[in-house]
Amino acid sequence: MTHDRRDTGLGDLALEAALRRVWAAAHGLWGLLATVDHKAIGRRYIATAFGFLILGGLLALAMRWQLSHPEARLLDPDRYNQVFTMHGSNMMFLFAVPVMEAMGVYFVPLMVGTRNIAFPRLNAFSYWVYLAGGLLLWGAFLLEMGPDVGWFAYVPLSGPQYSAGKRADIWAQMITFTEISALAVAVGLVVTVFKQRAPGMTLDRMPLFVWAMLVTAFVVILAMPAVVTASTALILDRLVGTHFFNPAEGGDVLLWQHLFWFFGHPEVYIIFIPAVGMVSTIIATFCRRPVFGYLAMVLALVGIGLLAFGLWVHHMFTTGLPRLGESFFTASSMAIAVPSGLQIFCWLATLWGARPRLAVPMLYVLAFLFTFVLGGMTGVMVASVPLDTQLHDSYFVVAHFHYVLIGGAVFPLLGAIHYWFPKLTGRMMGARPGRWECLLVFAGFNLTFFPMHILGLWGMPRRVYTYQPELPWAGLNLFASLSAVLLAAGFLLFFWNAWRSARHGAPAGENPWGAPTLEWATASPPPPWNFTRIPVVGSASPLWDSMGELTVAEGLRTDRRELLVTSVMDATPEARESSPQDSIWPLLAAIATSVMLVWSIFTPWAVVWGSIPIAVTLIGWFWPRGTPEDES
Amino acid sequence: MRKPSRPRPAAGVSVRQAVPLGLVLLALCGCRREAREVRLDPPVAAALAGVAAMPNGIGGRPPEVYFVLGKPYRGNAYQLSEGKRLYAWFGCPECHRDGEGSGRGPSLLDGWWNHGPGIETIYLSIRDGRPGGMPPYRTRLTHEQLWQLAGYVQVLGAYSASAAAPGRSDQVQSRPAENRAPARFAPLEP
Repeated sequence: MTHDRRDTGLGDLALEAALRRVWAAAHGLWGLLATVDHKAIGRRYIATAFGFLILGGLLALAMRWQLSHPEARLLDPDRYNQVFTMHGSNMMFLFAVPVMEAMGVYFVPLMVGTRNIAFPRLNAFSYWVYLAGGLLLWGAFLLEMGPDVGWFAYVPLSGPQYSAGKRADIWAQMITFTEISALAVAVGLVVTVFKQRAPGMTLDRMPLFVWAMLVTAFVVILAMPAVVTASTALILDRLVGTHFFNPAEGGDVLLWQHLFWFFGHPEVYIIFIPAVGMVSTIIATFCRRPVFGYLAMVLALVGIGLLAFGLWVHHMFTTGLPRLGESFFTASSMAIAVPSGLQIFCWLATLWGARPRLAVPMLYVLAFLFTFVLGGMTGVMVASVPLDTQLHDSYFVVAHFHYVLIGGAVFPLLGAIHYWFPKLTGRMMGARPGRWECLLVFAGFNLTFFPMHILGLWGMPRRVYTYQPELPWAGLNLFASLSAVLLAAGFLLFFWNAWRSARHGAPAGENPWGAPTLEWATASPPPPWNFTRIPVVGSASPLWDSMGELTVAEGLRTDRRELLVTSVMDATPEARESSPQDSIWPLLAAIATSVMLVWSIFTPWAVVWGSIPIAVTLIGWFWPRGTPEDES
Repeated sequence: MRKPSRPRPAAGVSVRQAVPLGLVLLALCGCRREAREVRLDPPVAAALAGVAAMPNGIGGRPPEVYFVLGKPYRGNAYQLSEGKRLYAWFGCPECHRDGEGSGRGPSLLDGWWNHGPGIETIYLSIRDGRPGGMPPYRTRLTHEQLWQLAGYVQVLGAYSASAAAPGRSDQVQSRPAENRAPARFAPLEP
């Protein structure tokens, strides 16, 4: 430790040159494949997730075409089963969850003022596994092997007797890919938030988005094991002939629903809680004041995270459960409206008299408020057993969950993309097309999905590939399908705007919106080391309270990748810690893992033989190389 | 921000050409096992009846259309699972049990075929019946269903499991499922 070089007293230029030497990724393909920079990985995570959003949207349009008039012939029943299953699985597991985690991967290290995410190689591994899972699902769809059992794959339909071939196995194994990647990201996020915050960023000075990602990461860690168990049991039933879900041999069909929804309901909050954090961030910036009721907001986030695990049974009201259980889960389902409502009121209080700047992110937040409240209302409706018994598996449910998922998560996400676009690309996203796209998406969404409430009340079931001309559903279906074109046009405009702005947008400075949080205290886009000097924080809105001058910490080494480890509660500095170098091994480990998982669809012995390459890649991953980062 | 220059390959197959090419190749070899033809074209369904049988009803040749379709009744997961359902629905277990046979009907699992192992012979056995108690099913099943059932029965007695074979049923089990490979990959197998 005597000959190391520190940044103390170095000039900015000399320091940046030194940091570039140790932090920059190699040029060319090798650098792309080996990088462990959370920004590079976060960016490609986000881009990939939006790619899957486009694919899933095309499937949705195909379904709307098929349903636009009675007895349509675009999709046959078998293809339709695959299409709606692919749409749901793709949107939930390949778009919504990954994109939210990706936003955390990119922005949490920046917002807490550190140089890289914790466990950066695991983070890189997570992306490659996620990509492989997406390719598996879509490759299978191209081979007519796409899953066709719905995105929650209920047994016995998805079990060995009623799902021929490998379609359901593809679904179950795609879930495994998503589980692995989500858990890997969640662990990294928790450690980053707890141990790598900038000095002085006590827990009560943490940005609300960071709180939201922290709660999300814990929900991921607690919820995913249930679906790991469920999907593994399903594959075993199908491939090896175990009897987890075979009542004749002592198994239980409802076990699947319990395990799946114990994950599946928190899953909704895994998508929703980060969106809440985005809304709080955007509202604070454009109202130019901190969000009203910080403590209440944080407690509401934690409360939602806890309650999320106590209401999975409301998906199962029609399975014949005891009355007492149904009453309990009705109560807990309605209870979650309390923290959600609390947040709504805190946002309203922040907006009250603030004269917010109505920039595009703020417009999306307003769209969110309206749409999400409506979705929340129908949520309270379907939480009551008698109403749910009537509405279960009808288009009312389709309308409800699109209102909460698109209104509650996608609108804030689109706003957040507009808001953070300068940090992602260094350029502003076009405001004029942004306003049009917001209007199109908002109007198109409501016109498409509101009629589905009525269709559901008129008795149209979900997951029907067509309906007869005698039924009174044709008019509203045609209206919804035409409105879907409007919605698609909005999304098209969004993608065109993003594409064009990334190339020709107005260059953004460090902090174009005048925002208070640390990600705006560095260049846009940030250099590979994020912060030339680690900032020291004295309040919850450091860039507003510091009057242009941010205090910084000194004394980190410049001859290796190094960052600061701080205490959990008060973020007092505890140690200098090395951050791993770039490595190709996460990619190789992800390939080995993918081969094993896909192979194990066909034979259980894949788990035995496939684990050998995984072990080899893990040994390569952790093999000490004598770099400065290996020193303790 | 500096843009890294992207070198382009001068000749040969580029990545952009290779990816769709690979997908098409994959689709060509993979599509038949999982495809689901729920409603055959009437001429195809009629042609399935045209099996050329030997005069003694043992051996023969499946109709040309069976090969044109890609032998779906032996290698397509959906067709095999349809065969399995027909096996249960049309009373086969009355005599053959879950394949192990009984005093009234021979075993289908032991790899011994009284009239030969060909799929067309099994088809003829089901269609026309056999002496010793096997009734004819030609008036009860369509030709497509006969082929589905024949394919499933042939899978029951196969020596090696295929990835297209059905899994276990949601019933009390009397034998391993049709898709259980006879431990070919087992590392400790003598």
